[in-house]
Order: sequence, then C-alpha cells, then structure tokens
Amino acid sequence: MRKRQREALEGYAFVLPAYLLFIVIILGPLIGTVLLSFAKFSLLSPAKWVGFANFAHFFTDARMGVIYGNTLRFVLILVPLHLVVGLLLALWVSNLKSNRGKYLYRTIFFFPVLVTTASVAIAWSYMFDTSFGLINWALGLFHISRVPWLNSPFWVYVAVAMFSLWKFVGNSFIYYLIGLQAIPHDLYEAAMLDGASPRQRLFRITIPMLSPTIFFVMVNLIIGATQIFDEPYFITAGGPGDASRTVGLYIYETAFQFHNLSYGSTISLSLFLVILCITLLQFSLQKRWVFYGNE
Amino acid sequence: METSRRNASASAGAGTSAIRVALLNVLLAFVGIMFLIPFLWIFSTSLRLPKNSFSLPPSILPTTFDFNNYAEVFRQIPFFLFFLNSLKIAVAATLGNIIFSSMAAYAFARIRFPGRNVLFLILLSGLMISNQVTSIPQFIMFAKIHMIDNSWTLAILWLVNPLGIFLIRQFMKSIPDSYEEAAFMDGANRWWIFRRIIVPMSVPAISVSSVMWFIANWNDFFRPLLFINSWNKMTLPLGMTVLTGTFGTGNISAVLAGVTLSLVPGLLIYIFGQKYLLEGLTIGGVKQ
Repeated sequence: MRKRQREALEGYAFVLPAYLLFIVIILGPLIGTVLLSFAKFSLLSPAKWVGFANFAHFFTDARMGVIYGNTLRFVLILVPLHLVVGLLLALWVSNLKSNRGKYLYRTIFFFPVLVTTASVAIAWSYMFDTSFGLINWALGLFHISRVPWLNSPFWVYVAVAMFSLWKFVGNSFIYYLIGLQAIPHDLYEAAMLDGASPRQRLFRITIPMLSPTIFFVMVNLIIGATQIFDEPYFITAGGPGDASRTVGLYIYETAFQFHNLSYGSTISLSLFLVILCITLLQFSLQKRWVFYGNE
Repeated sequence: METSRRNASASAGAGTSAIRVALLNVLLAFVGIMFLIPFLWIFSTSLRLPKNSFSLPPSILPTTFDFNNYAEVFRQIPFFLFFLNSLKIAVAATLGNIIFSSMAAYAFARIRFPGRNVLFLILLSGLMISNQVTSIPQFIMFAKIHMIDNSWTLAILWLVNPLGIFLIRQFMKSIPDSYEEAAFMDGANRWWIFRRIIVPMSVPAISVSSVMWFIANWNDFFRPLLFINSWNKMTLPLGMTVLTGTFGTGNISAVLAGVTLSLVPGLLIYIFGQKYLLEGLTIGGVKQ
C-alpha cells in the first residue's frame, strides 16, 4: 500500500513541471480566450462583460463569411495536395535502387522544411512578380503569357499552393518515407508469389499498412492548414482585396493591428471550435479506414 | 513447367518496365531540379549588382559575383545579433523540452498513478489548441507582468511540447520492465533510474522530438511578431522582414543575400541533425 502511494506521488512529481507549464501556457489561455469573447477589453481599461455582443458582431461581420470561405478553400486545396504529392514522392524515392540516390532526393525534398519560412517566402514573392519574376519568365520560354500570380483572386491560390508544396511537402514526405520502411518485406514477397500486380500491391498492401501514418499526416495537415498564417502574410498580404485573407491573418489584424482583443478572441474561439470538430470527426471516422496491425 | 512460364512472362514485362523505370527516374530528377531552382536563383541573384537584380533573363547559376550585397546586409541589420537571439530562444526551449517532456513521458509511460490516462488525454488535446487561439490571453498575461519584448517570454512559450511527450512516451513504453526492476533491487531511486537508465535508452525518441521542436521554434514568425518590438531583440525571421522593409524593391539582391545567409543554419541543422531525425522517427512513434 505504502509502495503504491509512493509510486503515485513520484508519478505526479514527474508530470508536474510539464503539466504546470501546459496549464499556464496553453490551457489557461484557452479559457482566457473563452472569457474574453464575452467581454469588451483593451489593455488600458478594465474588462467589461458584454454578453453575446462579440458573437453578434461575429455573425454579422460581412467579411467573416468570405474569410472562412478562403480558409476552407486553402484546406481543400492544400491538404489533398500535400497528402498525395508527399506520398508519391516517398513511394518514388523508397523504390530507388541506389542508396546515394535516396539520400540525395531525401535531402532535396526535406531541405525546404528546415529553412526559415519568412526568408524563402520573401524570395518567392519576388519570383511571383508579374513582369520580372522568375516564374513568368520561365513560362515565357514556352510562349505562355504572363500570369498575374498575386493580382488575381484565382491565381493567388495557385501561387500559395506552389509555395506551400515546395516549402512543406518534405514534412509529409519524410513521415511517409519512415512509415514505408516499417512495412515488413515478406508481405511484398508473399504478394509477388501470388502474382499480385504493382497496382494491387500498392492498394492492398502499401496503403493499408501505411494508413496510420496517412492518418497522422492528415490530422496534422488539417490542423496546420486551418490556421494558415505565414503564407498569406508574406506572399499575398491577404489580397487582392480579401481574396486570400485567412482566419489566422484576420485574428492577427483584428487583435494586434486594430487592438480589438476581445473580438479577436471571439474569432480565435470560433477557429478552435472548428479545429476541434474536424479533429473529433476524423478520429471517429478513422476506425473505418485506418488499419492498426496488431490491435 | 509452372516456374518457367512465370519466368517467361516476367522477362517479357522486363523490357517495358525498364523503360518505365527510366522514365520515372527522369521525371523524378526533373522534380528534384525544380525543388532546387529557387535556391539557385536566390543565391545567383544575391550576387548580382543591385541595379540588375530584376533584369531579365534571371540567372539560375551565378553570372556575376558582387559580394557587396552581403556587406550591405550587415550594414543594414545586426545579422549576428538576430541570429544569436533566435539561437538563444531555440536552445533554451529545446533544452526545456528535453527535460520536461522526458520527465512527463516517463511518468505517463511507466509510473502508475490515479488519473494518468485522463491527464494524458487532456495534454494530447493541446495539439488542437493552436498558437492563434492562445496568443491573445498569452499576450495580455505577459503584458501584465511586463514581459513583452523579452526573449525569455518566447522561450517560456515554447517549453511545452505535447507531441514530443507523446512520441517519447511511446518509445519509453517499449523498454522492458526488467531494467527498472533490477535497479530497484539494487536500491536505486526513481530519479536515478530515470537519469541513468530510461533517458539514455530513449535517446532516439528524445533527439527526434528535440530536432523537430528546434526547427519549429527556429522558423516561428507569428509569436516573435506579436511579442518582440525592439530592434535588438528581434529574431532572424523577424529581422528578415525588416530587411525587406528597408530595401523594398530597391535592392532585391541585398534582400536575397540576407535570405541566403538565413539558409545556413537550416543547412547546419540538416547536416548535424538528420541522423537523429531519420533514425529516431523510424521508432514507430508515428504509428499510434
């Protein structure tokens, strides 16, 4: 009995530092966000409760619909793109015969992940320049007329998708690559003996065996894309007009440029609830398609 | 008979599949080159004379070698100071992560105490709580205690890493109980076992979560943007936007010289960290 009590105390002691920080840095502020949503608050005057006024503002804010629509569009474009391109690259690289080739491509595809987003995003915004940018110049070699990358509500999404893929696909790629290494070889050998075609091996072995990794990558991608900030901030500045302004960018502008901390909190809270719902939905659907070998 | 027929069909397919493999390899090489071109263009343009930085055709490989742009970067921004500021925050946060995350992971993996699973689930749900959701109260909190515009604030905000705790816990669960039992028999206490047995055995998981955490921290732009105002406390990503602001479109070559310089730490992380990253990630922490 005493031994078990002692063990429990030790358990709490080991968890304590991380948990205390978790409460102060993450959980507490989350509750703060909820409280602020019901208040009128600035750093200079004391908080005043205003009930649902911020929420009324939220639901009548004409820009809100557009901005959530933009964010949804980014999620719908970026998540499948990263999910599929990352997988294709990983399958490709893992099938290479030479180890040197594997090393080379792994480095090439993963390196952009490591570099400062701010720096390379600035460089890419120059590359997207309509008249003098590298990309339009290269397209010009094939007699393709200049694309208004950052000045058209349509092309701005293509531009962000191109940058995002270049910068971040290495993340999904590396997770897939590692997941692929963990698939036992004898599964493929057995399938080959049974005369399974490459396509069958891909859809009957590789993808089911990789499904926990695919699920992990997908959950992370959706959480990441829903709060997308750096890309619109650096490359499009939310423009043209509001065409690529995202919830993340709008929270920053509302709270820290227009100093409306309470309305900013209301938008943050809505973003949290959206991410929460999507994640719970994904976890409840995972039983249908994610395959955990030994459970 | 059976085997010979199979061999025949395999060799008939070999010719077309060799062509397919070759085509795929060419395509892969093409994709690889496309990934490299932005870096080459950044570097080549950083060496151009400022008046030519945007003149066409752009260069993929350097044609001129004007290192003045690099000197200009150091004249306009205290590059090394920004670098050190970023490094200080990233190192402090990563060290904190190593200590606190492995301690918590150890308890969640191997110590029995009431409420363990609930506490662990609550911690994991922290993954869904993004920086933007918590940033406003965090800002108010640190403003109240006069810790805005302070590098240590950024380090503190990076001390908890739920995903890291999760990954390390998964790894620690796979260590056989016998190691701990033997040490207990010899009269070792919990802390000794943690320090001398569990942590050394969990190095792959701890290092991979640390490298990933360091990278995320190093590249963070959102929080420095909110929390840092003064020039001499800026991090490298924040300093890059100042550099852009200073030159505007006037001297793109100088901005790109700054961009090139900012790529060096990423390269160093890769060279020194990749062993841990790739070996550590294979431990199946990702696989639930």
